[in-house]
Amino acid sequence: MHILDYITKEKVNLLTRSSKIQDFCTSKLRAHPLPKKQNETWRLANKKKLSALLAYEFDIKSSDPDIPPYLSNKKAINIWIGNTNQLNLKEKNWEIKELKSQEIDDLIEEKLKSSNTEENWSNLLNLSLSSEKNILGIKISGDNLPPLQIFCSSKSNYFNSKTLILFIDKNTKANILQVNSGAKNSSLSLSTYIFLEEKSKVNHGVISSGNDKSNILNSLNIKQNANTDYNLGSIQFQYDFARFEIDVNQIEGNAKTKIKGMQVSNNDEQNGTFSKVEFNGPNGYLDQLNKSLANDKSHSIFDGSIIVPKTAQKTDASQLSRNLLLSNTAKIDTKPQLEIIADDVKCKHGATISELNKDELFYMRSRGLTFAEASKLQLKSYYQEIIDSIPVLEQRIEFLDHLLN
Amino acid sequence: MQVKMKGKEPLLEISNLYASTENLTILKGVDITVKPGEIHAIMGRNGCGKSTLSKIIAGHPSYKINQGQIKFNGTNIESLEPEERAQSGIFLGFQYPIEIPGVSNLEFLRVATNARRKFLKKDELDTFEFEDLVKEKLELVKMDSAFLERSINQGFSGGEKKRNEILQMALLEPQIAILDETDSGLDIDALRIVASGIKKIANQETGTILITHYQRLLEEIKPNFVHVMANGQIIKTGGSELALELEKYGYEWTDEMNKNI
Repeated sequence: MHILDYITKEKVNLLTRSSKIQDFCTSKLRAHPLPKKQNETWRLANKKKLSALLAYEFDIKSSDPDIPPYLSNKKAINIWIGNTNQLNLKEKNWEIKELKSQEIDDLIEEKLKSSNTEENWSNLLNLSLSSEKNILGIKISGDNLPPLQIFCSSKSNYFNSKTLILFIDKNTKANILQVNSGAKNSSLSLSTYIFLEEKSKVNHGVISSGNDKSNILNSLNIKQNANTDYNLGSIQFQYDFARFEIDVNQIEGNAKTKIKGMQVSNNDEQNGTFSKVEFNGPNGYLDQLNKSLANDKSHSIFDGSIIVPKTAQKTDASQLSRNLLLSNTAKIDTKPQLEIIADDVKCKHGATISELNKDELFYMRSRGLTFAEASKLQLKSYYQEIIDSIPVLEQRIEFLDHLLN
Repeated sequence: MQVKMKGKEPLLEISNLYASTENLTILKGVDITVKPGEIHAIMGRNGCGKSTLSKIIAGHPSYKINQGQIKFNGTNIESLEPEERAQSGIFLGFQYPIEIPGVSNLEFLRVATNARRKFLKKDELDTFEFEDLVKEKLELVKMDSAFLERSINQGFSGGEKKRNEILQMALLEPQIAILDETDSGLDIDALRIVASGIKKIANQETGTILITHYQRLLEEIKPNFVHVMANGQIIKTGGSELALELEKYGYEWTDEMNKNI
């Protein structure tokens, strides 16, 4: 059955819990089952691929693949969304505690109700389908926390939906790596909500790796209170259709956000990142770099907006989109944009699209490196900056080798 | 000491070479033969085709050979890729060595050295073996091992870049080295270091082509032959005394010769 049939034919409640917030999401989707093509952030979405993403049979259960060697981290606490019971850990300086259903609804209600359907479609779909088992809410408090690795996967021939809510308590410092893996012929809807309370800091990594004909709708929603630091390092690759939505809201300003992301597309894949960073108070800071690598006949999209209303004086924001075309038939669309009303701000944005540097290639080839070896070294340097920004990841060299091979 | 190895087969034979880029003919019938043990210098004004010649020998994809041929060890190399030429023993020292951010100099040198060693049927070197070798070669150009940890040529001064070129030459042990204005941008001390490195690497089995504007490099490295190039052709060939004459009379002296060709 097509995923939207579960919603429109009112069968969704048979599969999932039914809270008020979930009913709200379902009713929104029933009114508008699909995002409108006219909407700017969906304009370039490959309709056929989006349809294929939704065509899989829905299932609550997913399979949890083995942790790949490049993600081995003996110090980390490993958590699987959908397969972790009673996550309550307490040490002298820190605590990790599961949130109750009502606490989760209270946290995400505002976000879901305040945005319009098009902008929020991925989150509405996600919550309409996520069962109680597949919604994980955690409150993290304290200092000197061990690194967290949170795994999320989809099952072959199925559509899985999972939701993660992280409440980062005041003065907390956390290093979190989310690892999303897509099985062959599968779709995954993942929505993550992170709430940073005052004076907290999160170093957040997101590695999304697909497989043959796997798809992902990955929505990341960040709410930063004053005096918080949020650093994101992300990479997504090997999906037939991948959409990473990043929504950062500095609700009072006076916060720092750093985002370094990368998307890799091959064959005829479509891989896109859609980010919105909104400053709702003064002295906000953003440093964003999005890289893409497009090969074969693939299509890579970056759509990034920075919103600086009148209240956000002294905002300092920069956004750069760097793109590398590896073939003549690949396509890259990039649109960094600024929406500024405040008059005392420092904002810049830019985009570059280039090919592998021919002079560099010739230099290396003139020393005996084959075209493939020289290209690999160049790509390695292109990846390196992003890999270095992913926290918790200890086996960086192995991960880089995995990407290059 | 000038050495002429009359009995040996040529390493490099360039005959009647015409070459172009973007439909612009740059080389218009170049002939040069380099035998083992010989050092040749090519001098000439900017834009006369010296650098183009060096790039064509190394296989730069932007240039097309329209006529004539380049033989290396008796084989026409026109169809060889740049890496195949390098692996077989042709080395080009760049006038402007390329900076490659993010690519480790050490790793690049190791991959390049192993590519050459593979061609020579020598065992490839692992990281530790290579570090021993490279430290020995660093001595030749008086480079600090800290340069190995940096990205290729990134943040190097002009002199450091040129020394890095000679370090690569030392590691790759080419049969023929074409050094394109290796002396440009060097102060007197750096010039001596670079020249000393080149002399130590060159031997009776190798050939060297020095492309230069100035006599000062040739005071350090005595060439067997000096060629004057103008308008895509070699217009005069002589011994090392030719470089002195050029220094004395300038290139205007050769303009008359060019008119008569």
